[in-house]
Amino acid sequence: MAEEADLAGLLAAVASGDRDALKAVYARQSTRLFGIAMAILRDRTAAADALQEAFLKVWRRAGQFDSARGPAEAWLGQVVRNAALDAARARGREVLTDDPALGDGAVAATALDDLTSAEDGVRLRACLGQLDEKPREGILLAFVHGLSHPEVAERMAQPLGTVKSWIRRGLLSLRECLA
Amino acid sequence: MSGASPDDRDLRAGEYVLGTLDARQSAAVELDMDRDPALAEAVAAWTRRLDPLTRLIPQAAPPPDLWARIEAGLPAPAAGRPPVTPPWRLSWLWRGWAIGASLAAAAFAGLAFMPRAEKPAFMTVLVSDRAAPAWIAQADRTGGITLAAVRPAFGDAQPATPDGRVMQLWGLRPGDSSPTSLALLPRTPGRVSIQTPPIRPVPNMLIEISLEPEGGSPTGRPTGPILFYGRLIEAPPN
Repeated sequence: MAEEADLAGLLAAVASGDRDALKAVYARQSTRLFGIAMAILRDRTAAADALQEAFLKVWRRAGQFDSARGPAEAWLGQVVRNAALDAARARGREVLTDDPALGDGAVAATALDDLTSAEDGVRLRACLGQLDEKPREGILLAFVHGLSHPEVAERMAQPLGTVKSWIRRGLLSLRECLA
Repeated sequence: MSGASPDDRDLRAGEYVLGTLDARQSAAVELDMDRDPALAEAVAAWTRRLDPLTRLIPQAAPPPDLWARIEAGLPAPAAGRPPVTPPWRLSWLWRGWAIGASLAAAAFAGLAFMPRAEKPAFMTVLVSDRAAPAWIAQADRTGGITLAAVRPAFGDAQPATPDGRVMQLWGLRPGDSSPTSLALLPRTPGRVSIQTPPIRPVPNMLIEISLEPEGGSPTGRPTGPILFYGRLIEAPPN
């Protein structure tokens, strides 16, 4: 994909110290990445801080991006998720589990239709579809909203051990299915 | 996790990418990735596998001034040669350097409350990311470092440690690739003396304080947010 090749090229330029390239990455990706941070932190100020932290990391670590290992979009998404997860851990993630809006939307089964716009999404959707409902919900809550094991357990009103093993089984099934 | 089965390693990587690990477990994965290429590869593979899920997340426009904030935080490009990205030259080093240098002179007025045996060789003011002075750091000729919390009247950044966390003091000499831990700070802000730090203070050494899990950084490098920072300068003659 041209967009992907562009992003990978921009990251290479960022690694050599090109600020304009970082600005171009921001221009292309900031609404997607801010959405990712918002889904985890659910607070604009905290999400903005996390995105700022993430872009400083991109500036420092762009040289670690290796296009042979995966797409630039995925790498950027993970840098932002890690920054948001760190912020959520620092403030204590439990505040979020009471939010009644949490999980409406992204974890609804119909939302998976949004995955069908790209080939890798179609495959992931098919593989998620093969999981039991509970492991699928646990994985989506964790990934999209950044919930920890205990938080997923609390939200799903299930014992921690059960939820951990659902998520592990789910991950193994996904890996097998996507292989 | 030496001796872990491939499935264990892969699940650990999967849970790391998924985000369900706690801060300590997550930091441990990041540390292990440096010495276990198979783990790093597994993390990359899970990032690739799960990334399509980000398309489920609604996009959202960041605050309009965010790019300006990010750009202001980048290190100033060196004039006349292509900019480079040294790993530890973070934006705030430069900002902190400028702020620290200008505050250093002002802070000497406040030094009277610090009893000291001898004139320091080097000093700096550690500031928070809001540029509020919070600590005064001094190094003496024998290599000892003294840290004193600035009185609340001096600024609004009175150091306080959240429960279950500890503030860790680091030093980074010019040319070092990563900072060296100097001490864990006591919970109650006050005065801390480190008689024989593992590295000898030198001019331009960066001093920083990060927030770490109880017991200190599990990785040997700062893992939490940098709360305060400053750069040692030669103490002015008086």
